[in-house]
Amino acid sequence: MWYHKPAINEELLQSLPNLKVVASAGVGTDHLDLKLLFSYGVKVSNTPFIVSTDTADMGMALLLASSRRLLEGHEMAVSPDTEYFPADWLGVEVSGATLGILGMGKIGYKVAERAKAFEMKILYHNRNQRKKEEESAVGAVYCKKVDDLLQQSDFVLLAMNLTPQTHKLIGKSELELMKPTATLINISRGLVVDQDALVEALQNKVIKAAALDVTYPEPLPRDHPLLKLKNVIITPHIGSATKKTRWVMMEEMAKSKEAGLAGLLIPREVL
Amino acid sequence: GPGLKVISTLSVGFDHLALDEIKKRGIRVGYTPDVLTDATAELSVALLLSACRRLPEAAEQVKSGGWTTWKPLWMCGHGLSDSTVGIVGLGRIGQAVARRLKPFGVRRFLYTGSGPKPESAAEFGAEFVPLTRLAEESDFVVVTCALTPATQGMCNKDFFGRMKKTSVFVNTSRGAVVNQEDLYEALAQGQIAAAGLDVTTPEPLPTDHPLLSLRNCVILPHIGSATYATRSAMAVLAAKNLLAGLRGEPMPHELQL
Repeated sequence: MWYHKPAINEELLQSLPNLKVVASAGVGTDHLDLKLLFSYGVKVSNTPFIVSTDTADMGMALLLASSRRLLEGHEMAVSPDTEYFPADWLGVEVSGATLGILGMGKIGYKVAERAKAFEMKILYHNRNQRKKEEESAVGAVYCKKVDDLLQQSDFVLLAMNLTPQTHKLIGKSELELMKPTATLINISRGLVVDQDALVEALQNKVIKAAALDVTYPEPLPRDHPLLKLKNVIITPHIGSATKKTRWVMMEEMAKSKEAGLAGLLIPREVL
Repeated sequence: GPGLKVISTLSVGFDHLALDEIKKRGIRVGYTPDVLTDATAELSVALLLSACRRLPEAAEQVKSGGWTTWKPLWMCGHGLSDSTVGIVGLGRIGQAVARRLKPFGVRRFLYTGSGPKPESAAEFGAEFVPLTRLAEESDFVVVTCALTPATQGMCNKDFFGRMKKTSVFVNTSRGAVVNQEDLYEALAQGQIAAAGLDVTTPEPLPTDHPLLSLRNCVILPHIGSATYATRSAMAVLAAKNLLAGLRGEPMPHELQL
């Protein structure tokens, strides 16, 4: 299945008594009721590793685009109303700034590798602290408390799984802990953020800006305030959107399905 | 006027200065290298990513309602993983760009210029190649060279014709290094996948310029060094250059004529 359709519920599973395996595209499994599926004896697979690089690239792309005001700049450059480029039109440098990564899994770590080359200071929070060698390879400093990370970061990047524990992890108080000059970047899942609190924080300049590849729902309703805010970039969940990666995902899904139907060990099984 | 003693430019490029005339008149020139390297390299990478992952297009689809549902191959861009990056002009900015691109999984760096630079290239294992080979073998081409009589119009029909259909072209040097009509044709005919330009000729482009109509061309208003920190540093340096010149003292950064 691609994205979160069809919705897998009791009714659907009862109507498909021969269903053996569900192959899901992407790494997230928050859209699947795993308990329910397993109770019907259905196996589940995902595509965990292949999406990491492109998604990390996207995280950096959003971070840079936001800080250097790329989309605004592009509009100015192509607008028929622009007569000259004002000399005092400026952005903020990424080099030397502090990046706080919430969720240092495969994707979070790859973002850290990229950010290091921009001489960014890297803070991170993760369920488990990473090994010393992994930390020093990217110069990342562990923050046991999320609050510490939020208070010190110029950019906060969300790269964790959506679970009951991370649901609405970033709410009103978390946003208030962030610097007023800080930017929130989300490449994980929309529901990790309390979206209404985010809108308020952006409107009241509690934080400077946001760059989101994911929202809730997707797409947002046409009249949603996030679509109107000048300090927000929204992309349509394209973290893994390169032809190469999508083809590998399709191959992996096909292999998982074949293995599942043949009763063999499933390559990317979600347990 | 005859009293002109010093020219202090707020840039590292000096293609806008008539150096022969300036030298004849014994006028000194100050410029601002180094302080703007990081900001410009950063912007070059930002532009490359915006072009190859189709950021302006994608963001517009979100706002316009063009994004209805999710399809596997919709809005797909080109990844950097396992790619070959060709840098035209491995100077300070070119090296800073390569440094930033390295962790994106770039497999190979190529570069071209007036001559090989083994010490600079060593950090990236970059191979010195002729311009034609760089065009043929690169998945991403980043132009960071100075504008000189030799580089004027260098990126032309022949150059774009050699590039891969899936490749992305980025120019953050000077507009005149690129033959804009040839670039337009290459993009319109699908000879290359996308382009990102921080510089054009002129700036801004006239409102009816064909490059402005292309979905796969990201154009920025010459903001390579446009950050608060960098422009402040450039301004201070330019002032210091000017004052030193007027006092007949050595400048922090004087252009050797």
